[in-house]
Amino acid sequence: MNNNSVLKSVNDDSVAEIKMKVENLDFFYSKYHALKSINMDIQEKRVTAFIGPSGCGKSTLLRTFNRMYQLYPSQEARGQIRIDNVNVLDRKQDLNILRAKVGMVFQKPTPFPMSIFDNVAFGVRLYESLNRTELEERVEWALQKAALWDEVKDKLHHSGTSLSGGQQQRLCIARTIAVKPEIVLLDEPTSALDPLSTARIEDLIFTLREEYTIIVVTHNMQQAARVSDYTAYMYLGELIEFGDTRTIFTTPKNKATEDYITGKFG
Amino acid sequence: MNPIYIRRRIVNATCLTFSILAMAFGLFWLFWILLTLFEHGLHGLTASLFTEMTPAPGNEGGLLNAIIGSLVMVILATLIGTPIGILAGTYLAEFGQRGWLAPVTRFINDILLSAPSIVIGLFIYTIYVAKVGHFSGWAGVLALSMIVIPVVVRTTEDMLRLVPNSLREAAAALGAPQWKIITLITWRASKAGILTGVLLAIARISGETAPLLFTALNNQFWSMNMNQPMANLPVVIFQFAMSPYESWQGLAWAGALLITLSVLTLNIAARFFLRKHEYHK
Amino acid sequence: MSQEDHLADRTSKQWRYDVLFRQVTRFFAFFVFSLLAALIISLLIGSMPAIKTFGVDFIFSAEWNPVTEKFGAWVPIVGTLVTSLIALAIGVPVSFGIALFLTELSPPWLRRPLGTAIELLAGIPSIIYGMWGLFVFAPFFAEYIQPWLQNSFEDVPGIGFLFEGPFMGIGMLTAGIILAIMVIPYIASVMRDVFDIVPPMLKESAYALGATTWEVVWHVVLPYTKAGVIGGVMLGLGRALGETMAVTFVIGNAHQLHSSLFMPGNSIASALANEFTEADGELYTSALIELGLILFFITFVVLVCSKLLLAQLQKHEGKIT
Repeated sequence: MNNNSVLKSVNDDSVAEIKMKVENLDFFYSKYHALKSINMDIQEKRVTAFIGPSGCGKSTLLRTFNRMYQLYPSQEARGQIRIDNVNVLDRKQDLNILRAKVGMVFQKPTPFPMSIFDNVAFGVRLYESLNRTELEERVEWALQKAALWDEVKDKLHHSGTSLSGGQQQRLCIARTIAVKPEIVLLDEPTSALDPLSTARIEDLIFTLREEYTIIVVTHNMQQAARVSDYTAYMYLGELIEFGDTRTIFTTPKNKATEDYITGKFG
Repeated sequence: MNPIYIRRRIVNATCLTFSILAMAFGLFWLFWILLTLFEHGLHGLTASLFTEMTPAPGNEGGLLNAIIGSLVMVILATLIGTPIGILAGTYLAEFGQRGWLAPVTRFINDILLSAPSIVIGLFIYTIYVAKVGHFSGWAGVLALSMIVIPVVVRTTEDMLRLVPNSLREAAAALGAPQWKIITLITWRASKAGILTGVLLAIARISGETAPLLFTALNNQFWSMNMNQPMANLPVVIFQFAMSPYESWQGLAWAGALLITLSVLTLNIAARFFLRKHEYHK
Repeated sequence: MSQEDHLADRTSKQWRYDVLFRQVTRFFAFFVFSLLAALIISLLIGSMPAIKTFGVDFIFSAEWNPVTEKFGAWVPIVGTLVTSLIALAIGVPVSFGIALFLTELSPPWLRRPLGTAIELLAGIPSIIYGMWGLFVFAPFFAEYIQPWLQNSFEDVPGIGFLFEGPFMGIGMLTAGIILAIMVIPYIASVMRDVFDIVPPMLKESAYALGATTWEVVWHVVLPYTKAGVIGGVMLGLGRALGETMAVTFVIGNAHQLHSSLFMPGNSIASALANEFTEADGELYTSALIELGLILFFITFVVLVCSKLLLAQLQKHEGKIT
């Protein structure tokens, strides 16, 4: 385990606000009870990592935060998710507004079948009527943030699918940031990437942390230790342990967490 | 050597020989038919074919009015059938998870897809031609568009289903409303596939004769009036080929070559198009 | 307007567009649905006079006389079924051979061009098959194949009568053979596609036991894809039943039943193509529309059977994975 990075994340002593409160959240795939009474607080402008074995419900939990599950009629969430004190699971919550506020990056890069520029501008055009110059500025800003600008500035009008896997994923991050969300969800963002691209994305997560509340699902415990301030360990649809990353990785309270982290299980 | 093994080897060799012969048998017809068309039709492919009208019995002439009539009807039928097919196919692929309409329509679309084209001609005759009292270009267009619709519905649905859900989710995660996800992302991602379907539909209706017999019928003269019987290549070929006049039969062969070459070109173009798209992915 | 109001206004508009878009696509799906309903109803109404006059006898009566206005569908029904069965009898084994060749024997670089060439057979318009059949194939058939068939099978009890009569070139057998060529591309491409989905591991484990190519195909591939293969055959059958122009050229258009396949006959589709525009009198037209309805019904049944079989295949797949 990389102790330096754990220390790095703990050195930051400023007190954080609570951005999102999950209260008594249950989730069902038809009849399958996938999440059982989850309660947790997500701190603003911090990185929270969800870890746990496959099928433990960490991705499911992530997908309730922007109600992505609602694309599929048989899936249902019960309970409350309060973002800035508003319950986003409420029927009256407008889905599109929620998703503009809570951005998401997926396991595999998902460039749209259009140019690099249009990929980044896609979300912006949905909500803001910017003129050409403003839009260009915004696209450049987002690509800069995603540390992709230098690589693509000369081929903005090439297809997004022409980029390499790691570049595509950073493009997707740029696309998400361009909308200026408050929370960014990352669903195993590096699982399809090589180690070098993974390192770049991790660096990126660390910079983005200054402005966004970030939640990352990962299979890779070293990654959780490297990038996150808080870690949640989940198992079989339950939240087993949740706390700051250093504590979880050095002195877990729960035996199951310890077994998983030390590699005895999972 | 073991006698059982020898027998197995012989059976294997026999059956594999049969397989090669079957392949040759299939190709044989393709080449024979194409050869015949070139043999009888090539010398008829002259400038006058494209500049003169269909002649009176026994006279020389061309196929201009039939070619134009076919083009007009095929284009109009495609323009009517394609949007209907794409929208219905979109419903089946994107909104069809719930309710009775999607599964029923999917099934019915398959019935329409395999319905004999002459029955479709009969249908347009009873609901349109019989009511207005005369054959017309519009009736032909309607019959052809009824063939286009199920082809386009089917390919649109299939192609939209090939679009990975992750792409839809990624667009939804940006807060895009569903109609924008579909029109800007999924349609665009399956553009090549849908276009292939449209090309195949055009190829299919270009050669259709049966549904035009009772609808557009034929017209020996130049007519752009869609409310009148309208000349078209397949029916002209049918009538001329069955006639005893040598000049008419010559025109029929030339028309047959023309129509086959265009349809096969469309088919190959559609395939090429889809393949390029596949490689791109 | 505040930022919040502005957003709310935008999203309520988007919500309306969403509903509108869904309703528009739904409308056209419903339109496709109603097309079939309209088709069935209009054919039923059109054939009412004939149904009222002849009742069930229409199907089983072999008489077809426009002058006395006595109509029966037996001859074209039999003609349709017999020509389609001949097409399958020739087309299915050949298609199987082609699919076997394309999936197991062909060198990889030849697979695509050969597959495309076979599929192009399906692209040739049916009227071309008709012309070629009448002017090229029929004379050839009368001169070389028919005498040979008669000589070979004349004395075989049970099937000799099928090959009696003069060598005219046209007739039921010619129509069946041309239909066979037309359905081969459909059946062969379905077979090739389902053979392709057999897991390589399954085939490899049979080869590992020392099975020959033929044994692998016959004992492993074919049983595994049985339902799909039958579905493909049904697809071909549907095509053959409804084929109009090719048959019209070569079947001879005679409203008579013969035991010999060399003799002319009639099919539903070619009776319609030949007679419909010339039919005068309500009953004549109506009888022809009822013929169309019967043809539609037959293809419908074939389609339903093939759907059920394909569903069976999918269930089967589900069990294995």
